Amino acid sequence: MILSAKVILPRLRVFAALLVPAMAAACSGEFSTLDPAGLEADRVAVLFWVMLAGAFAIWIFVIVLCRSVVVRAPRENSERQARRLILWGGAVFPGVVVTALVVFGVGMMPELRRPADGPTIAVSGERFWWRIAYDVEGGPGVVRNLPAGGVPSANEIWLPVGRRTEILLSSPDVIHSFWIPAIAGKMDAIPGRVTRLVVEPTRTGVFAGACAEYCGDTHAQMRLRAVVVPEEDYAAHVAAQAEPAAVTEGPGPELFLRSGCGACHTVRGTPADGLVGPDLTHVGGRSTLAAAILPMSVETLADFIRSPQHLKPGVEMPGFGMLPEREIEIIAEWLGSLE
Amino acid sequence: MHFFGRTPDTLWTLIAAPAIWAIHFLASYVAAAYACAPNADIFRDIGGVRVFIGIATVVSLVLIALFFYRAWRDWRRRTTGGDRGTRQDQEGFLEFATMLLASLSFLGVLLDATPALFIVDCR
Amino acid sequence: MMNREEGATGLDQNDPEVRRGQEERLRKAWAAPAGWRYLSSVNNTEVGLWYVGTAMIFMLFAGVLALGMRVQLAVPENDFLSADLYSQFFTMHGTVMMFLFAIPIFESLSLILLPQLLGSRELPFPRVTAFAFWCFFVGGVFVCGSIFFGAGPKGGWFMYPPLTTQERFTPGYGPDIWLLGLSFIEIAALVAAVELIVGTLKCRAPGMRLNLMPLYAWYVLVVAGMILFAFPPLIAGDILFELERLFGWPFFDPSRGGDPILWQHLFWIFGHPEVYVIFLPAIALLAMVVPTFARRPIVGYSWVVLAAVGTGFISFGLWVHHMYTTGLPAISLGFFTAASEVVAIPTGVQIFVFLATCLAGRVIYSVPMLFAAGALAIFVIGGLTGVMVAMAPFDWQAHDSYFVVAHLHYVLIGGMLFPVVAGIHYYWPMIFGKTLSARAGWYAFWPMFIGFNIAFFPMHFSGLMGMPRRVWTYPEEMGVALPNLISTIGAFIFAAGFLIFVLDAVRPRKNQPYEKRNPWNAGTLEWLAEMPGEAWGVRSVPIIETRYPLWQQPNFIKDVSAGRFYLPDAEEGRRETIITSVLAAEPECVVRVPGPSHVPLVAAVLSGLVFIFATFHWWLLTGATAIAAGAVIIFWLWRGTAEIPEKPTKDVGLGLTLPLYRSGPASVGWWAMFITMFGDLTAFLSFLFGYYYFFTLHADFPPPGTEGPGVFWPSVAAGLFVATWLAVELSKRTNRSGRVTAARLLMAMAAVGALAAAGALLWGPHATGLDPVAHVYPATVWVIVIWVALHAAIGCVMLLYCLARSLAGRMTPDHDKDISNVTLYWHFTGLQALLAVATVSLFPLAV
Repeated sequence: MILSAKVILPRLRVFAALLVPAMAAACSGEFSTLDPAGLEADRVAVLFWVMLAGAFAIWIFVIVLCRSVVVRAPRENSERQARRLILWGGAVFPGVVVTALVVFGVGMMPELRRPADGPTIAVSGERFWWRIAYDVEGGPGVVRNLPAGGVPSANEIWLPVGRRTEILLSSPDVIHSFWIPAIAGKMDAIPGRVTRLVVEPTRTGVFAGACAEYCGDTHAQMRLRAVVVPEEDYAAHVAAQAEPAAVTEGPGPELFLRSGCGACHTVRGTPADGLVGPDLTHVGGRSTLAAAILPMSVETLADFIRSPQHLKPGVEMPGFGMLPEREIEIIAEWLGSLE
Repeated sequence: MHFFGRTPDTLWTLIAAPAIWAIHFLASYVAAAYACAPNADIFRDIGGVRVFIGIATVVSLVLIALFFYRAWRDWRRRTTGGDRGTRQDQEGFLEFATMLLASLSFLGVLLDATPALFIVDCR
Repeated sequence: MMNREEGATGLDQNDPEVRRGQEERLRKAWAAPAGWRYLSSVNNTEVGLWYVGTAMIFMLFAGVLALGMRVQLAVPENDFLSADLYSQFFTMHGTVMMFLFAIPIFESLSLILLPQLLGSRELPFPRVTAFAFWCFFVGGVFVCGSIFFGAGPKGGWFMYPPLTTQERFTPGYGPDIWLLGLSFIEIAALVAAVELIVGTLKCRAPGMRLNLMPLYAWYVLVVAGMILFAFPPLIAGDILFELERLFGWPFFDPSRGGDPILWQHLFWIFGHPEVYVIFLPAIALLAMVVPTFARRPIVGYSWVVLAAVGTGFISFGLWVHHMYTTGLPAISLGFFTAASEVVAIPTGVQIFVFLATCLAGRVIYSVPMLFAAGALAIFVIGGLTGVMVAMAPFDWQAHDSYFVVAHLHYVLIGGMLFPVVAGIHYYWPMIFGKTLSARAGWYAFWPMFIGFNIAFFPMHFSGLMGMPRRVWTYPEEMGVALPNLISTIGAFIFAAGFLIFVLDAVRPRKNQPYEKRNPWNAGTLEWLAEMPGEAWGVRSVPIIETRYPLWQQPNFIKDVSAGRFYLPDAEEGRRETIITSVLAAEPECVVRVPGPSHVPLVAAVLSGLVFIFATFHWWLLTGATAIAAGAVIIFWLWRGTAEIPEKPTKDVGLGLTLPLYRSGPASVGWWAMFITMFGDLTAFLSFLFGYYYFFTLHADFPPPGTEGPGVFWPSVAAGLFVATWLAVELSKRTNRSGRVTAARLLMAMAAVGALAAAGALLWGPHATGLDPVAHVYPATVWVIVIWVALHAAIGCVMLLYCLARSLAGRMTPDHDKDISNVTLYWHFTGLQALLAVATVSLFPLAV
């Protein structure tokens, strides 16, 4: 028989055996949408579980129905039953379900896009990292260009818990998409446009994020971290980020400048004021390196300076392997000390 | 033109209802897109557009209902099954299919109007 | 009841001698060319088979790419493929599966099936079919071949700018290969769609009213119509894209007023209907398979038509659900959420029609039904996750994650691949006279079904666990290593199952006996096919009175085979079939379709070379081949179309005499022109959409300091276009009324008028110094006027062609197809010219 119980039941068991651990795993993890730490992610997770339950019930119903109509011999009134089945099963039932879903789904959108009551942060997606500016001037509308100013940082975004923070997104090169699954859905960063995402983290912690729009070979290595802290810690962090670098003199900054790093990178307090790559004023204070793909340490800093292509293929930064090993170490040590 | 009498059905009367849905959909989308395009103040009320969509919805629903009614008037008097090679069968088939498409389009227009009911601005 | 004992020419169809003579003449007329001339074949059966075979080879190629990707993703931080190669792999996988497999497999299967289903001998334009196939072949090999030189496109199958438009992000020819190669294939697909629409509307057997059409034909009609309105926006987008890449016109460059989102709109206005273009034909196959094995007519025929037509419409209101995360206002997202949910209803109807038919019938086991059941189980999951991702808030999470990868594969493999395999199993004996192995089918099914679920079900969770799409690797700490490893294992099991199916299909079966006629005891016309098949398609063109004539019309097969219906003979040795009216399928005329020719092959290769040379910017060669291709096409038209028959009418049997030449709406050529121009108009409207789109986007459009094309020259152009248009219409009328000299004069005048109109239209923006590279406004104006001017130039060539035909005696007052079709062309061109002038010249004055 095509779909006998003998065939279906073991398959269901296999599914369940696969499903349960997978689901359990999916429910946790710093990347997961189903371990929500934000208002939107939370609402969407509930929506997902409800829809999943409904979908599962409908699938089972259809499969059981399929089996029964296949094995059943036709009777006198089969044709009338069949017509009723089309009307009620094929048209009316889906009609009711989708009407309910549309009302529910459309109804939840205005709530999720409520105005912000917290800080405004500008985020620019760039090949292949995130430029961040805290506490920019924002309005209720979406502006044409990302607002200037703010406290610069990169790849690690701090957010106050319990406040609705407005994130303004754009890009100077190609389309990227800003996504921190545990906190909220994604929003594209589009050249020539400024898009807006309001996030409302509900608990503190560190959450992982990634670029979700294909932006080139290194798309897979364009990630970020979100650090959710109490409001006063957020203010303190931004104030600290606004300070110039901790160490601005000595062999480290000298070699940094002499090797030309300042053409692309800014270290506030030194003459290095390049705007092409990430601001390194407090790079040592970030927990990761190279758009959240490597742990921050003096060794990885040195490795990255030596051969960034090796650690992050397609990265736009050239390698500095031609520098003497000792110089690379000095630069890395200095950068690591910039907390 | 005997709109309410026994009328010949064609491929055009068949697709009239979904075509009305399409026009309603496009008009709603364009109106909202045009109103929201400046993006200057996304929490400004766009009442005018919502009223326009409301009126377009009522008009579309009435038109679709008329096409439904037109098909139903003829169809309910038919005795043939629609699956033979006569002119009456062809008419009956087109009328029944028109009724189904009109029902679908009716629901489509109704649901496409819900965003204008719930969402008051360009957020 | 008509007397079917009496044959076409009053001969006794019961006489075996008479029948043998007829059969010999038919066989000779329809014989496929042998030896090296085989490639000149144009018959739908041969070309259809090449088409299916080529599409399947492309599918296997794309499948191997998919396995490569799965190996790379099997474990975290793998280095089986480099990032560069991985990008090429996923781009080609998507592109090839969509453009070189899914669309062509529908068109090619339809080319084979449609004439059989409709009781026709052939589709109306066999050489056009052959041309479309060769275009597809040339373009496909070119696009696929690029990956072997490491030059494959790698911007994703969606090619979002500015990643792909700007040299600094994507150096090399990759995007050009994608754009030009696929534009060429899209044109081939459009051509085939026109053929399928005209075939369905005009080539049905007498008596096959709309309500008796096989459901497959309804789907073909709907799907071909969708192609007609869905592909032109993409072609328009391709043109804008290529103009930016080649000449720097800034349509998608925000620094000069362009906007990358415009491409997404144009791409997805194509891209979403495309999903249904793929899905509906597969359902159409099931609509043929299920009644046969439920042993009864389908329950809810009208419901299926509702579903097909309804889906066709609604599918055009879904495109923004691929753009939920581009920051559009919630109210806009709401419209698309609503439409995306509504489309679930017709989909549900189709599934329940099949279930209802099984309920009312007595189902028997077969391999096609096994695959149909598998399709149902898989597709329903895809449909349900589709309902989920259609909800904008959920999609903000799921979008561009592996959840969507899982969803789309459940939809496409359940909704397309499984039904296609069911269809191939089902129709194999109709084409080859022998069945595929039922046992091999069973052994192919289970690995495919189980492997598929193992491969794709875990991806839902990978996605929700935060794994984005199009990543060539992922870190251990993402926590998706296990689901990815399971997916990879499943993918290989799935591939093994498919391999069993392929091996069964290609193994030699010399010793296997031919099946008996109608081996599945089906009820529809295509099972009239003899085993082994005859090239003539149908022995005599039957009169249809029911939906399942083989079940419901007594003695049907016998009468058809004894030549007791229309056209049982080929007295003049020509390939002939009957043209009928659109609604009631009343016979209108006999059309003589052309036989084998190398011209379509040559024309397709030359046209392909135009695109290939353009890819590499070899402009001289491009121009030269374009002229050569044009010349070949004109030669083709001159020799092969609108032929004046040796006698005005023909006795087709059963006391019916039909004309051999008709122009206007009774001719297939007129319908083809009408439908083609609808597609053409859609492309033009896409450009206008671009103009108004930029208008809403920019506070000042035209930008300050830029002058539009003015009013004077565009008005002159509009006047000249109207005059030309009138002259063309008049020339048709004077020719028809017998005043041939006046008609020729008018044609000549109109040809000059067309060129003058084009010149005046181009002069406007030139005179005001609009520089298309400077800003998107001038670029948009230029695109619109160049498009219309190009139409005028082609219209001029058409008029000169008509003039030449008239002078050569190939066009007369009674035989005026040429000018009648050209007039139709000018109706559309005139309309476009007026719309263009209203937009570029009058609209800026009004706002």
